Amino acid sequence: MNAEPWLALLAGELRRQGLADPQVATVVADVRAHLRDSAEDPYRAFGAPERYAAAVAESLRGPASHARPVGPVRLQADGITKRYGRRQVLRDVNLTVRAGQIAAVVGANGCGKSTLLNICAGLISPDAGTVTVHGTLSHSPQDGGTAPYLLPDEHFALVGAGKGLTRDRSRTAGRARAGELGWQDVGATLAGQLSGGTRQKLNLVMSTLTEPDVLLLDEPYQGFDRGAYVNLWQQLWRLRDDGKAIVVVTHMLNELDQVDIVLDLTEANS
Amino acid sequence: MLSAVDLDRRNQWLRGILDLCVLALLARDESYGYELGQALERAGLGAIQGGTLYPVLLRLQRTGCVTTRWQEGDGGPARKYYRITDAGRDCLARDGEDWLGFAASVAKLLDEGGGP
Repeated sequence: MNAEPWLALLAGELRRQGLADPQVATVVADVRAHLRDSAEDPYRAFGAPERYAAAVAESLRGPASHARPVGPVRLQADGITKRYGRRQVLRDVNLTVRAGQIAAVVGANGCGKSTLLNICAGLISPDAGTVTVHGTLSHSPQDGGTAPYLLPDEHFALVGAGKGLTRDRSRTAGRARAGELGWQDVGATLAGQLSGGTRQKLNLVMSTLTEPDVLLLDEPYQGFDRGAYVNLWQQLWRLRDDGKAIVVVTHMLNELDQVDIVLDLTEANS
Repeated sequence: MLSAVDLDRRNQWLRGILDLCVLALLARDESYGYELGQALERAGLGAIQGGTLYPVLLRLQRTGCVTTRWQEGDGGPARKYYRITDAGRDCLARDGEDWLGFAASVAKLLDEGGGP
């Protein structure tokens, strides 16, 4: 049984999980030694590479650390209430997010997740309640803020210009962020011709490029494959470590143990 | 041969106790991954796949319960040996006692319930 193809896949998945090269080498060497001793099929002994890589990463990381320092309050939403006609969408919702925290907003379809995010972004007004933002804010809406007839680099330049970055600096920074999301070949394709998943990455890069203090993301993984999804969370954890306050609207529950705050609007409104 | 349901239940038990079983083995003597797997199976815990065992070893290493060293075999390949630390022995003594108390309670319950 030649285990090398499996080991190569494992190494890639471990890097994707954010392990440093020496750690990757150690883990791969352990598995190789075990397979040599046991003469087993790697899929039988260790399962699928991505699942084993995730188990290893969890063992090395430990449970989500509660000791992480958090900073000052960046976003505070108090008593947010919103109706559309006779339909009550949000009732007295409260959310406080500090620098260095990720809040996940979850709940059934139509329970007001996007409405809450739009209120936090200042795009719509609540019927009651206040939102206070300390610092700069960036909002990545669900249906994209991309321009179909511009190149990705032009999007980076446009957003960067708002922060006084030169075209070159914007492009370099934008492409670096794109690379973190596994989007390598940022080339001569107009935004309108990108796949849905890649356009969503463009959307994400634009919202993080300006280094906002508060980042609002509305289901930021639409069209992502599993690899891109892992990359996204790696990037969010890095941004959190950099002291950003992040709010993610999501219906994916499997990452909830990695966030700091969970706001379930299904409960909050019932 | 265990059914899938039995196997699933057994895996859930192992999740809570495998680290202590590994520490108990290492308290006797240092060992390497494959050998530990074999010893656990011989001890009656069923086949422990590498995919289950090595994450536990990594966790024990991270928490300082074991240390590792590579040793050249006699003519064979080099192997990574795991050795229990003082912290590992403390953990084994403390958490092992907790488990024995818990297992005794379970046994009493099952017994009173007209178990096996």
